[in-house]
Amino acid sequence: MLRNSVYPHSKLLQTLAKVLGRCNNSNSSTGGGGSATLDADTKREVEHHENQATDWWNQNGTMEALHALNEIRVPFIRDGIVARGNVKSHYVNTTKVLKGQCLLEVGCGGGLLTEQLARLGAQVTGIDLADKLIAAAKVHLTELSPELSSNVKYKMEPVNQHAKANCERYDAVIVSEVLEHVDDKVALLEACVRSLRPGGSIFITTLNKTLPMWVAGVAVSEYVLNLVPRGTHHWDKMISPLDVQRILDTMNCQTVLVNGSTYDFWNNSWRWINTTQMCYALQAVKDSE
Amino acid sequence: MLSLFLHNGGAASKGQLRYVATRLLSTTTTSEHFDIVIGGGGLVGTTLAAALAKNNTLADKRVLLLEGAEEFKGFDASGPYQNRVSAINKNSIELFKSIGAWSHIEAARYKPVKQMQVWESNSDALIQFQHDNFASDVACIIENDLILDAVYTRVREAANVQVLNKARIECVRLPKNTGGRHSELKLQDGRSFTCELLIGADGANSIVRKQMGVDVFSMNYDRMGVVATLELNDDACDNSVAWQRFLPNGPVALLPLTDKLSSLVWSTTVSQAKYLKELPPAEFVEAINEAFCRQNARVELADKAVQLLNSFFGQQATQQQVQYPPRVCGVKDGSRASFPLGFLHASSYVSTGAALVGDAAHRVHPLAGQGVNLGFSDVRYLVESLAAGAYAGFKLGDTQHLIKYERKCLAKNVPIMLGVHGLHKLYSTEFSPVVLLRSLGVQLTQNLPPIKNLFMKGAMG
Repeated sequence: MLRNSVYPHSKLLQTLAKVLGRCNNSNSSTGGGGSATLDADTKREVEHHENQATDWWNQNGTMEALHALNEIRVPFIRDGIVARGNVKSHYVNTTKVLKGQCLLEVGCGGGLLTEQLARLGAQVTGIDLADKLIAAAKVHLTELSPELSSNVKYKMEPVNQHAKANCERYDAVIVSEVLEHVDDKVALLEACVRSLRPGGSIFITTLNKTLPMWVAGVAVSEYVLNLVPRGTHHWDKMISPLDVQRILDTMNCQTVLVNGSTYDFWNNSWRWINTTQMCYALQAVKDSE
Repeated sequence: MLSLFLHNGGAASKGQLRYVATRLLSTTTTSEHFDIVIGGGGLVGTTLAAALAKNNTLADKRVLLLEGAEEFKGFDASGPYQNRVSAINKNSIELFKSIGAWSHIEAARYKPVKQMQVWESNSDALIQFQHDNFASDVACIIENDLILDAVYTRVREAANVQVLNKARIECVRLPKNTGGRHSELKLQDGRSFTCELLIGADGANSIVRKQMGVDVFSMNYDRMGVVATLELNDDACDNSVAWQRFLPNGPVALLPLTDKLSSLVWSTTVSQAKYLKELPPAEFVEAINEAFCRQNARVELADKAVQLLNSFFGQQATQQQVQYPPRVCGVKDGSRASFPLGFLHASSYVSTGAALVGDAAHRVHPLAGQGVNLGFSDVRYLVESLAAGAYAGFKLGDTQHLIKYERKCLAKNVPIMLGVHGLHKLYSTEFSPVVLLRSLGVQLTQNLPPIKNLFMKGAMG
């Protein structure tokens, strides 16, 4: 009985993995750029995202869901920082709530989240491996949000390199919708934590590694509804919140909050739900001893 | 020359207009920047300005309120009562309380309504709304100018709100047309402004709405509302009941202002409205008294059905008797006026850099006293959404969070508007099956408290 229900799933997975593979191969043959030091897989991910560079800031384009995600991820990060008691009380409930906070956004892409955090007064550094995206982010900043130019810095740089130069510098590090595109999660998180000051928070949002998530988030949204560009997400790169927590534990980071979320494509909005089966947001605090 | 061109705007093609608008805007060199510009300083627009100023999260936003008329002269609480009044529901009173305007109104004058009676002229069906034991008010009747005075006082106190009178918007350009990051507007006197968010509170013929390019569903009811301030006979007692009777031409309502004064809102055909407005005072008063008492062609079947229904619910006929409003004995000089009635709804309330509130987004028949209350509920939702959006780092004009405002408003406004429109249609006929059905519906509602409470909640907030 159990075998019967499991078997079709694994078969389905295999078939779709093949489809995915084909799609990725065709993708990797197009586009250029990317750093020579990156391995082939990372390069493919970078190129895949660079293809969306021109459409990144289009609220009704392929990045629609990512735009909508700001509705919940900005409050999650904001409230997470406030909850640690690092915000002066007279800034709470004002639009300067993050004033003086020094944030690092790893994998900032076109800067959707970066700008929005900067608008709350934070000093945000956004780094990404895709130079086309960093270029798009810079253009958007200077042309459409010049008032934020003193709060935002963009850099095309790998996180481990950045962490070397900025050891224990940041009040918070944000890794939003990035983990599912990275193979070596331990190395990435290690570098993030290194750049974080003791007592600072790391915020992660990503997809869970569950069957419902794969069906809804990959099969349906990439291949049926075309909500997300094909080849954006891969089963083998998805990671469960418990695994993230385990990795962070080894780096002296205590996970303080895990919230489940889901996306309603029919009205393009995200909401918190009572389970982490779909997507999740996680906050961990670096031990300050 | 250019202004001449614009005055003929109605005849000029859209392309020409856009060309003129572009030229007008491009000739300006400097335009002052505000975070929020509110076009229209009526009840809803001014209340919005006061509510924005009062909000902690939005305290650092600079707000400009544009009003086409001269500076508001203020309100004299000892002067004669005015003919434009509104039935303000609990939600709107909460809003006034939250912006500190309610104490101002309380200190002046207003009339709480304890009960509302609605009945019709073709059958015995009747419905009465009140809270248990008249414990709280159904609504409050407040003069529009008093509300405006109360919120204006708050606006004047606010450091971050600037008011500009005699400021008529000539043209508007939104980011979606220009590709820029700000909304731009130019006044008829040549001054121009840019802003993150332009709010259209400029009424049913909103210029902002036209620029947003949203679809508008509108219809003219071919009806006029006649208003007047009426003197009552001594039998009025404490005059705390609001009366509304559906006549074949439209509903006539008597809203209490004081123990001895009431305000009339009579919706009727254009020709009858004109006739009523020009009647000598004595005959006008007679017409009103007749409107509330005269029996029209009865639909006997409906009467029988209502009786049957009442006996089924165990009601005594005496309990069900219609109460009649106090006799009107005079009309205040010069208080008669009329205004056109219509239905309007914008398909969308927001676009990048712009949002609509109040009559610019929706207009309803006054029969349930919902129009201005819906506008005030827009204000609450908009301020809530803007504060939440700004606190999450969104630009004020970002549709990503403005859409939340629209969703909340549509969920609230559309059912009420359809309900009000439906009532208007339902009562515009004397066709007996319809009379029978509406009588049964009303009587059933009257006899089933849960359903009645549902309606009360919807209409009274």
